[in-house]
Amino acid sequence: MIKVASEPWREMVAHARSTYPNECCGAMLGKIDGDEKDVLIAMRLQNSSAGSQAARYELRPEDLLAADQEARRQGLDLIGIYHSHPDCGAYFSETDLKNSCPWYSFIVLSIQKGEFDHANSWLPNAEQTAAEKEELIYA
Amino acid sequence: MPKILIPTPLRQYTGKQDTVQVKGATIGEALSDLTTQHPDLRRNLFNEEGKLRSFVNVYLNDEDIRYLNKDATPVKDSDTVSIVPSIAGGSALETAAPAATLSKDEILRYSRHLIMPEVGMEGQLKLKSAKVLLIGTGGLGAPLGLYLAAAGVGRIGLVDFDVVDFTNLQRQVIHGTKDVGRKKLDSAADSMADINPFVQVDKHEVALTSENAFEIMRDYDIVVDGTDNFPTRYLVNDACVLLGKPNVYGSIFRFEGQATVFAYQGGPCYRCLYPEPPPPGLVPSCAEGGVLGILPGTIGLIQATETVKLILGIGEPLVGRLLLYDALGMRFRELKLRKNPDCPICGDHRTITELIDYNQFCGVPEQPPAPAPGLAEGEIDPTEVKAKIDRHEPFVLIDVREPHEYQIGHIPYAKLIPLGELPKRVNELNSADEIVAHCKSGMRSAKAVDFLKQAGFRKVKNMKGGILAWSDKVDPTVPKY
Repeated sequence: MIKVASEPWREMVAHARSTYPNECCGAMLGKIDGDEKDVLIAMRLQNSSAGSQAARYELRPEDLLAADQEARRQGLDLIGIYHSHPDCGAYFSETDLKNSCPWYSFIVLSIQKGEFDHANSWLPNAEQTAAEKEELIYA
Repeated sequence: MPKILIPTPLRQYTGKQDTVQVKGATIGEALSDLTTQHPDLRRNLFNEEGKLRSFVNVYLNDEDIRYLNKDATPVKDSDTVSIVPSIAGGSALETAAPAATLSKDEILRYSRHLIMPEVGMEGQLKLKSAKVLLIGTGGLGAPLGLYLAAAGVGRIGLVDFDVVDFTNLQRQVIHGTKDVGRKKLDSAADSMADINPFVQVDKHEVALTSENAFEIMRDYDIVVDGTDNFPTRYLVNDACVLLGKPNVYGSIFRFEGQATVFAYQGGPCYRCLYPEPPPPGLVPSCAEGGVLGILPGTIGLIQATETVKLILGIGEPLVGRLLLYDALGMRFRELKLRKNPDCPICGDHRTITELIDYNQFCGVPEQPPAPAPGLAEGEIDPTEVKAKIDRHEPFVLIDVREPHEYQIGHIPYAKLIPLGELPKRVNELNSADEIVAHCKSGMRSAKAVDFLKQAGFRKVKNMKGGILAWSDKVDPTVPKY
């Protein structure tokens, strides 16, 4: 189960709305206790996809490294990655799966016509062939 | 000893340590020592062949080892090695996953493509996987729809809300005489299904607007602009730029056409070419200025060719070049188009970040003033004009259309003075006479009436609805055009 506190949640939704109709992406920092994950900080990262960002996002590894270092600095863990799907559902697409990493939770925010619609959290497997839905609670 | 930082999720395999000290003179040796100390890490970092998994990047301090010496990159005791996954994604389905196969029937159908190495099976599968949106199924949309369907473009979306009428048939060859009165979408989809039943045709029976453009266009790879008005052209351009989709552009007027590909791989967009729309009314539409029926065939097929080239990834796309076609001289010319660094939507500092009100931008009134049901001041009904003629009332009827329109059909009583000649021929008229002016539908004659009033004529009236209304109400033998 992944729980996103109200402050990082507001930040994630605001970020996703601000980049609409393009996708946004960012890192989620917090605490992990077994299967229970608490997101305490949402960190905006740059979508570095070179082409259209309407249906693509790409994280620079150095940005992810910086997020990981920031988490360590604050005594937190890098829990996962969030990104938005403008005008489509919060599914885990073939593209998401093929470029994922099984170590993290992936929260997808569906933004419909510029407004938040719904969200899901996904746990991809190591072979990048399937992703399992993770219970998501946000305030 | 160099140390390796362990990402949170992998610490379960390192006894919760977030940092592991390792032995080794190179990255390869250091990683090998790491997985010797913590064997469970191995399958998380390496695949069955012992290669780093595709999503794993290794950094030496702040540098990606791919740009150093990879596995052989030397490490010192003071170095920090980080393991960083590469992450990307997006709502789009992987475009690199084309349709799986062609059926036997499809192979036969596309054999002339398949035997060319530039297309081949791979290219034909790309065509089958491609999704192309045609804005408009009129003059340009007709050849586009027919040829793209025939070529095997797997999914073709059509946006149109119009109905086929007789004046379309001179050029819109996707519709037939039997289709007059039908929705253009239905008629076009039937023709395309007849040519190629393997193609999926999506019908969008709407006017493209700032509200629905993203939603409609998002699903497609390429947008082909076959519109005939400026607000929609700017809308298609802006939506394509914002969504990052190529805009295959074409336009036609009388005997001349233009084509290019906008918003593709850093190339210019429509706004780089035309930052501002022309004042409303300055550029006549095809309905006003006419168009050679074959012209949209030529331009539409240039657009279709470019679309297929973009899908196949072959040849040199018509990017940064505006192709001009002159049918009368039968000449093609090319103008260089450059991306405008100050372009408000595709330039270095984008100021347009969402779709705007394009009617307002182009100075088009939101709703064209509806013709009042009754007679306005200074108007006269065609039946009243007929009654005057029959009563032999003294008045002058002037036809302000062009001579070639007069030849199509005219009112025998009328005197032809084309609007453009009126200023110099005004002395043929007597301000003491009662004068009625008419044209095709009443627009030009209204201008003629205004002109005459300013010239001091008092008794001038505009025949409401022009010769079209005359044909409806008075004399159906006068043809409509």
